[in-house]
This record gives sequence, structure tokens and C-alpha cells, in this order.
Amino acid sequence: MLVLYETPAGYALFTLLDDGKLEKPDSIWKSFETPEQANKTVKLRAFTKFENTTDALSAVTALVEGKLSKNLKEFLSKEISEKEMKKESLIVGDAKLGGAIAKKLNMKVLSDSTTLDLYRGIRTQLDSLLSGLSSSDLSAMVLGLSHSLSRYKLKFSPDKVDTMIVQAIALLDDLDKELNTYAMRVKEWYGWHFPEMTKLIIDNLAYAKIVKKMGFRSNCSTSDLSDILPEELEQELKEASEISMGTEISDEDLENIHALCDQIISITEYRTQLYEYLKNRMNAIAPNLTALVGDLVGARLIAHAGSLMTLAKHPASTIQILGAEKALFRALKTKHDTPKYGLIYHASLIGQAGPKMKGKIARMVATKAALSIRVDALGETETAEIGIENRGKVEARLRMLEGRPAASSSADRKAAGNAKGQKKHEFVASSSYNTSTDSTVKTAVSEKKRKAADSDSESDEKSKKEKKEKKEKKAKKVKVEEEAPKEEKKEKKEKKDKKDKKDKKEKKEKK
Amino acid sequence: MGFGDRGGGRGGRGGFGGDRGGRGGGRGGFGGDRGGRGGGRGGGRGGFGGGRGGGRGGGIAKRGGPGGFGGDRGGRGGARGGRGGAGGARGGAKMTVEPHRHEGVFVAHGKEDYLLTKNLVPGESVYGEKRISIEGADGAKTEYRVWNPFRSKIAAGILGGVDNIHIAPGKKVLYLGAANGTTVSHVADIVGPEGLVYAVEFSHRSGRDLINMAKKRTNVIPVIEDARHPHKYRMLVGMVDVIFADVAQPDQARIIGINAHHFLKNGGNIVLSIKANCIDSTVDAATVFAGEIPKLQEQHIKPQEQLTLEPFERDHALVVGKYVRNK
Repeated sequence: MLVLYETPAGYALFTLLDDGKLEKPDSIWKSFETPEQANKTVKLRAFTKFENTTDALSAVTALVEGKLSKNLKEFLSKEISEKEMKKESLIVGDAKLGGAIAKKLNMKVLSDSTTLDLYRGIRTQLDSLLSGLSSSDLSAMVLGLSHSLSRYKLKFSPDKVDTMIVQAIALLDDLDKELNTYAMRVKEWYGWHFPEMTKLIIDNLAYAKIVKKMGFRSNCSTSDLSDILPEELEQELKEASEISMGTEISDEDLENIHALCDQIISITEYRTQLYEYLKNRMNAIAPNLTALVGDLVGARLIAHAGSLMTLAKHPASTIQILGAEKALFRALKTKHDTPKYGLIYHASLIGQAGPKMKGKIARMVATKAALSIRVDALGETETAEIGIENRGKVEARLRMLEGRPAASSSADRKAAGNAKGQKKHEFVASSSYNTSTDSTVKTAVSEKKRKAADSDSESDEKSKKEKKEKKEKKAKKVKVEEEAPKEEKKEKKEKKDKKDKKDKKEKKEKK
Repeated sequence: MGFGDRGGGRGGRGGFGGDRGGRGGGRGGFGGDRGGRGGGRGGGRGGFGGGRGGGRGGGIAKRGGPGGFGGDRGGRGGARGGRGGAGGARGGAKMTVEPHRHEGVFVAHGKEDYLLTKNLVPGESVYGEKRISIEGADGAKTEYRVWNPFRSKIAAGILGGVDNIHIAPGKKVLYLGAANGTTVSHVADIVGPEGLVYAVEFSHRSGRDLINMAKKRTNVIPVIEDARHPHKYRMLVGMVDVIFADVAQPDQARIIGINAHHFLKNGGNIVLSIKANCIDSTVDAATVFAGEIPKLQEQHIKPQEQLTLEPFERDHALVVGKYVRNK
């Protein structure tokens, strides 16, 4: 029997002198107690040094991945003759590598747990077994190799693309926070001069732009604000400026306020730009997830998990409550109900659901998200088919649960969603939350920009059309489905209601 | 730094005076005072008091009893408070350094008391810790680095009075969960140029700092790999005397076990820190610790000692065991 042992300096091939020893793995250690005993148990048959660190690095990376590298193959086929290969069996430390050797070299390979003690023995007595190699040489090789291997690992880190998303979403949040403090500050500051304006102009960007444009409020009536404000509001503002009760400020004061306004305007601009970048990245990296929950929620999920791959390894139940860990563990500890949703709550699908339905829809979205993420992380396709399909399914289910009469076209609802969303993020109308979430149909446009290099616009046009067709089809399907099980649904709903009532009663009684 | 004003009185276990500050920062600290402990172990060693949530770099205020340790830890990565920059404690004429009961570890006595290790790379701090330079009798200067028990579980264990840490000069250590390499640097200081530390860390972000630390210390072998798969670093790691594990994973007993099977010599030792919350957050910490022991025994690890790391860490335990593979 032969034993393959990898050292940082090179490959070693040992001969196990007594094959019978392997049958009693529990007592192998006795044969390695002293160097003499060890040399009687195994004998070094061949040793090949790595030529240099690059050679060693490539060999070891292959070993780590369980692949048969070129120089290992050469070494083995040189040292073991054809005849022997048929007769002898080789002991290998890693099962995966063992499989590769068995396949490529047509050898019998042994790489199970029984070999562990043998390797322990060799490792213990390595210095005496490798007679040609001094231990100081070996330790120098270990040091060099470990450093270059770790550097290599970091350099070719598989989740480097995801880090970009993680950082971008973090920056986006930071910018929002910063922007808000600045906007509040400018309102507070300029408010001393023109307090009425704070009430009239809610939008932060518009406020900053107006201050920039008109300067002192006395200039209000003469300056043209039509490109910033709607007519009525402009009129109202001008009227307010006439009768304002604000204090007077100096040129110097205004200069500083203007500097702050410049900050707000430029940060807002940059924020839109960053958001565009994030959107494009999300569409490229996780198209299905983006289609289902939107780019912001998708990016937050990825950021929370650390990378797309780790997120793909999470079960749906974890994805559902990602971001609500504190509440979850508190609930587990105190034996209360666990939270129904975490970050996923901000997905527009869940926003659409009624308060009673939110938990249920969150669960559905989470399951579909889990599937979509896995397709994104591990699948071959680059399209958002599954995401869009899943979204359709969840939407249909939502409509069914709410017992709403046949779907009002989803576009209508989107518009409604937009109106709601705008209240939340006023400062940039274009980046309001829900628009982005629902941008899946439009993505082809941004995709075009992003993929300018690697995809021709034709295919994008096609996919656009396809998507449209699909949507129409789906809408039809949903209608048909909707009509058929209507009666059933009613029954179910009644039953459910009863159940709910019962539950409530019980709860009350408990209390 | 001030902690004496917080927490309970000396003698009994001082109650928690509030929430845990520290990592999150902002929240109030607790002052734990633990006087009763010293009696059983180590005789005159006094109580350990710790304040959390204050500025980092605070020291150990000397109170009545001999060697009452207190540490003070601010937020990780937060601004350093206390006496300011590195070397703040340097040049103290009153500072005297004595070897600790554990070989390779030192204690500084001065206005405040510190736990120290001898700096392997004089003139440099690894993570912004203070350095203390002491002139010997022959005029040769030796530099030590302050070891903060709030940032290192081994240091917390030493201050907690662990009998034997098994990490000593010349030893070979496999360190699982090396993180940024802060504690690893102290372990490297202890084992010295004759010893060796294999530092395993999976996170690439932390690994970056680890590698940078290892560049300066040639007795540290950085390994960026998942500790669950020891066969992936089988060619780098030799047989070791001690495994220290701070992996905080639900299956950590298994992780430690397979690493021991691969690399720990028969009769070698295992030191592991258990964070109760990482294994099961729904039950009591003591129950979790008790549950881990049989899991270790399954892996041929004979537990020898267990102590909690309070007041430095909440719901943490340090377990020392012996690996007996074949009798």
C-alpha cells in the first residue's frame, strides 16, 4: 500500500510496509511512537519538491479544491509504474482528491476515516521520515506558502461583486441619513429668515434649490421659480414672502446657508446616481430576486447575509425574518410569537397586502425569494424569468386571499403604490421606494445601459416584448382562475373567519 | 478608570448595574465586582472588577486588596478614551513588571495594573494597545504590550484565575477563529520565536488584518479557510500541542473535535470559549455549558476545568480539556 502525503515543500509518497496495520486503525499510533518505529512502519518512497512558490501555490490551491493538479499527476505516474497501478492501492487524505485520482489514473484509492490515524502518525514523525528535508526548511516553506495562499484567497475572493452591493446600499443609507440632517439644518437656519417657507415647501431638494435661487426673501417676488415649483405653490410662496415675520440676515449668513444648500443639491444628485448604479448591479447579479422584491430590499437582504451565496444557503424561514433577529431571539427566549417579517416587510408585495394578510404574504414572498436567490446564485440563466413568474404567483395569491374581484390591472395598483410611496421619500421623486420595486418591467432600459458591452440591444428589445406578452397571458390566466374557484373561496373565507374568531375568543379567555 | 463608583460593593458579587455597553456603545455599563472569588483559588488574588461602556484603554485601578484587577473596555473600534494614545502608560517610573503564574504572561504594577505579554516586535502596536517599556538591570529595554481582558477571552480567562492555559513559550498552537489577530498576536508573544501559531480564520475581511499582523510575526501561520474542513489545510498544519478555539458556532464541539483528530497530539490540550447565545439562545447559559461537555467527551476530549468569563464577557465560559485519543 502506498500513502500520498502532501507537505508545503512538495509531495511525498510513502510505502506502508505492513498492510495489516490498517485493519486495526486504533492501534496504528503505537507504530509511530518513536522515530525508529515509524521508520519501520512506513518508508519514504519518493519525494518531489515544488520548484518555487508559484509552483507550490498552484499545487496547493488544486489540493484545497480536491483537484488533481498536473504536477501531482506527473509525480504519481512517474513513481508508480503501470503494473503497480493495477495492483497497489493508494491512500489519500482527502476523499475528493482520492476520487479524482481514482478516475484519472485508474488506481484503487483508499481515503476514508480509517486512514486518519495513519496520517496522524506520519504527521507526528514527519521530521524523521523525510530525511532529506530539514525542519527549518519545512517551516520556512510553510510560512511562505501560507502567506501566498491567503493572499491568493483574498485576491480572488468569490464574493467581491457582492461586496460592491453591500457597500453601495450602506452608502445609500448613510447618504439618506446625512441628507436628512442637512435638510433639517437648512430649514432650521433659513427658517429664521423666512419661517413660512418651511411649511409651504416640504420637499428638501426643492427647498434647497429655492433658497439658492432667491437668496433673501425680498427677492422672492422677482425671481422665477417655475422650474422648481408648480404655479399655485409659487404664487403662495410669493404671497407669504410679502408678509413674512422672519428676521433679517446678512450677506455673510446667506453665503453660509447657500454653501449648505449646495451640499444638499450635490448629495441628492449623487444619491440618484448611486441608486442607478445599485439598480444596475442588482439587475446583473440577482435579477430574479430584484424582480420579486425590488432592488433595495434585495440589496438589503444580500448585505445582511454578507454575500449572495450565503443568502442562497439560508432557508426561506430565515429570509423571512432576516433583519428582525433581535425580535426573534427575544420572542424565543420569552416564548412569545416570533416576528412575521424582517427586511422583507418593505417589499411592495407585502406593502400591498392588508394588515391581516401581511404575515401570510411575507411567508410566501420569502419562499419565492429563497427560490429566486438560489437561481441567481447558482443558476446558469441571466434572465429574471423565475422572479417575474414568482411575483405573478404571489400577486395572484394575494388577490385570492383578499377576495378582491378580478384583478384590477397590476399597473393601476402600481400607480397607487407609487402615490403612497412618495410621501415617505419626498426629496427625490424619481427614487421613491415603490417605483423602484416595481421597476422590473422597465428594467430592460437600464439593462441596456449596463450591458452595453456584453449584450446587443436587440435581444433586450426581444426580452421586453416577451415580458409584455407574458404579463398579458398571465393576467388572462389569473382571470380564468379567479372565476372558477370563487365559490370555494367564499366557503374557505367563512371558515377562516370563524376560526379567527374562535382563536380570538380563546386568547381573550386566556387573558 | 472609574468603575468603582458603579456596581455593587466589594465582597459579594456586584450586581449588574445596567445593560451591557461596549460593542454597541452608548448604553450604560455595568460594574461587576467579584471579591468572593479569590478565596478558593490562588489565595490572595483579589477581586476582579470591570466596568464596561467607558472609554477603552482604561486600566486597572488599584483598590485595597492585593492585585485587584479591573478592566475597562469601550466600544470596539470606538474612540479611545482614558489616557489617550498608545504609550500612555509608558515611561511611568513607578511601573514594575513581574512574571505571571502562567509562563510568558506578565503583570505590570503601577498606578493601574495591567496584564502584559512581551512584545515580539518592539516598537509596534497591533491594534492600538498600549506598550510599556521597562529597563532591565543591565540597561536593556524590554517592551511589553497591554493585554485587554475585555477584548481577549484568554486574557479574561487568565484574570478569571484559570489553572492552566497550556499556552507557553515554545508551544505549537492551533488557533481556530483568529478573527483580526488581536489575541493571536498575544498568543504569538507568549509562545515566542520557538513556538508556532496556526491561525485559522474564514472571514476574508478579518483575514486581511490577520495577514497584516502575521507579516510582522514570523511565528504566525495565517490560514484563510473554514475550520469545518481541516483537510483543506492539512498540508500547512503540523502536529500541535494546544488547540484554542473561539469559533462561536452551534456545532463548535464537532469543529474542535475534527481539528483535534487531525492535528492535536495525543495528550494535547484544548482551550475553548463557549458563547452560550451562539449555541442556544433560548435556554439558560449554564444549561448550554453543561450540554457542551458531553459533546466534547464524545470527541475524546476530557474536560478539566470550566470557568465563566464574567465580568468581561456575558454568558461566556472557558473550558480547558485534555485530548486523550489513545491511552
